[in-house]
Amino acid sequence: MTKKIDAFQRMLLIIIVVYSVFVTIKNPGFFQIQTVFDIVKTSSTTMIVAMGLLVVMISGGIDVSFMAIALFGSYTSLYIMIQTGINHLAFAFAVSMGIGALLGLVNAVLISWLRLPPFIITLGTQNLFHGIMTTFISDKSFGSGVLPECLHQFGQGTLFKIATDNGSTGLTVSLIPVLAAGLATYFILRRTMVGRGVVAIGNDEESARRAGFNPFRIRLFVYAYSGALAGMMGIVYAAQVNALYPNKMVGDELMVVAAVVIGGTKITGGQGKIFGAVLGVIITYLLNSTLIMIGLSSSWNNLFVGAILVIAVAITSYQERVKNRKHLIFTE
Amino acid sequence: MKKKVLGVILSVAMAATLLAGCGSAGDSGTDTQTPAAEDSTDNDQSADEASDKSADPADYKVVMVVKQSDSWFDDMATGIEQLKKDTGLNVSVQVPETGDAASQISIMEDLIAQDVDAICVVPNDPNALVPTIEKARDAGIVVVTHEAPGIADCVDLDVEAFVNETFGELFAEKLATAMGGKGKYAGFVGGLTMETHMAWYNAAVAYLEEKYPDMENVSEEPYEDANSVEGAHDKALEVLKAYPDIAGFFDCSAQGGGICEALQENDLGGTVKVVSLALPSMSATYLKDGSMSTGLCWRPADAGYAACYAAYLIASEQGVSDGTDLKATGYESISLDGNIGYGNAPLEFTADNIDDYNF
Repeated sequence: MTKKIDAFQRMLLIIIVVYSVFVTIKNPGFFQIQTVFDIVKTSSTTMIVAMGLLVVMISGGIDVSFMAIALFGSYTSLYIMIQTGINHLAFAFAVSMGIGALLGLVNAVLISWLRLPPFIITLGTQNLFHGIMTTFISDKSFGSGVLPECLHQFGQGTLFKIATDNGSTGLTVSLIPVLAAGLATYFILRRTMVGRGVVAIGNDEESARRAGFNPFRIRLFVYAYSGALAGMMGIVYAAQVNALYPNKMVGDELMVVAAVVIGGTKITGGQGKIFGAVLGVIITYLLNSTLIMIGLSSSWNNLFVGAILVIAVAITSYQERVKNRKHLIFTE
Repeated sequence: MKKKVLGVILSVAMAATLLAGCGSAGDSGTDTQTPAAEDSTDNDQSADEASDKSADPADYKVVMVVKQSDSWFDDMATGIEQLKKDTGLNVSVQVPETGDAASQISIMEDLIAQDVDAICVVPNDPNALVPTIEKARDAGIVVVTHEAPGIADCVDLDVEAFVNETFGELFAEKLATAMGGKGKYAGFVGGLTMETHMAWYNAAVAYLEEKYPDMENVSEEPYEDANSVEGAHDKALEVLKAYPDIAGFFDCSAQGGGICEALQENDLGGTVKVVSLALPSMSATYLKDGSMSTGLCWRPADAGYAACYAAYLIASEQGVSDGTDLKATGYESISLDGNIGYGNAPLEFTADNIDDYNF
């Protein structure tokens, strides 16, 4: 593969830099290492599920049930830990990711079996999974005092700390699962036959089938992978907020879809880059976490974030068209 | 590419409407005990008039629609369970899947169709519920709200745990005491449309401006934590960067724990003061480790109890007046102001007394 950053990603980087300069001019307090640490921490959960969603979207599918899966996996595993007194982080991740992968398989089987658009199926399973959880497992909220201690240590944990003017700040350990998810996704997409199959069925399922790929098996893998990452994200989320609610996360999936699409992933499949998705997530978080910095009051939130997102998408898509014209590709 | 971008936007919009729709579909199935129960408990005094019921609580079907599923409303549900045990009132709780007005409206529509006797509701966005409330009352259903004094004219009764201004001033006083009466502070609410949160916020800010001139609010409007602990955490981190000399936070939604987490990450727990609406189960650790100075609250179980009992009193035409006893702690003698019934039930948590409460 070519390591070169393409024009699309360059454009996203430019938007990030220009916007950061703008914020720094408005409020010099933005320009410090703590800003980077805070964005790494707050965006870590979205980064993890964005990787799973990226793979799903490259395969030509879409998954809007991953937040329900994340909630199901993390809630169930932590609920078991609270009930039995198990206090081990590896257990939390293993059970949550296992449940996530299982629910992902349910998605894949339904999609292949019913031959309906994945959007509709996963929209249905989103409610189904959430409903099963609140009905058959529990719908109680748990506070920091009840949750396993290891979870809090993980959520507050830092790789290293530096002193600031009035306290200290550190780089979150949540970066480790994020890097693991990113590297695994890179390896799968670039170095394995399954990864090639994902791209192939995303481009054209029939051609992929004739080339010897088994779309059903690839789909099983893709949705199970997305589910497992969702399970991982659920634990990271619960650790960071240090509380367990039966109704959080679900409803935030479209922001992740938006971030991945902003990152240049084709919604029709076959194309998408990890670095692009990362940039897309960073842009959405940058926008959401700088409004106080530039002194906008809360009532401006949605208007501002929406406007900047539309502008970002417009600029990047214009870039894409210019590039296509140069290569004599006319899409309209 | 253009078309695809448009496609994304369209699908996002569609998904949003679909999600809202799905929520209602899920909810409608949950409550299927139709008014058949009323028919079976036949009223012996007048067989010909079905609507003329006795004062027996078992004859009345009262449903409480809460904001969302969390430990606050879990506690409210326990209070309502207690009311059912104490009086035999046919009362139940409906929990919307998402904390927005749309899902509450769809639940209320279902209840209107079922022709219940009274609906109690804790509105997410009071004004958005007004048309539905009017529809319910036109159908002869008693509507009692909690935490919505602004729309009290549209309902039969609004039950409040206390006068909101007094509670807001309590926030201010606690924050001022913790901060030593000086320094910069920031206020959080769940959302700008949340009426009670805003009433507390405004009362607190006005109180501090008047009594503590050395205290400075960093923003004209409160920050929104969207009623999520994650939202409070992320916003607090941002405020810490934008105003490094901040000395205190108060949170009118019960998510002060998120602020405490953010402070602890920056080694500022206890240095920067936090006063928050608080639920013991979610805030005990922060009160004990000192990162939260004071938690303020009222007992949701008692409020739910009182609201549903008031709904029964109105539905059975016994009525509610100044000094009526709603049978719950703090509501023994409500003071009626127009359509609003105020109790006197604020609760204050500190590290010392937090273990006395188990909700």
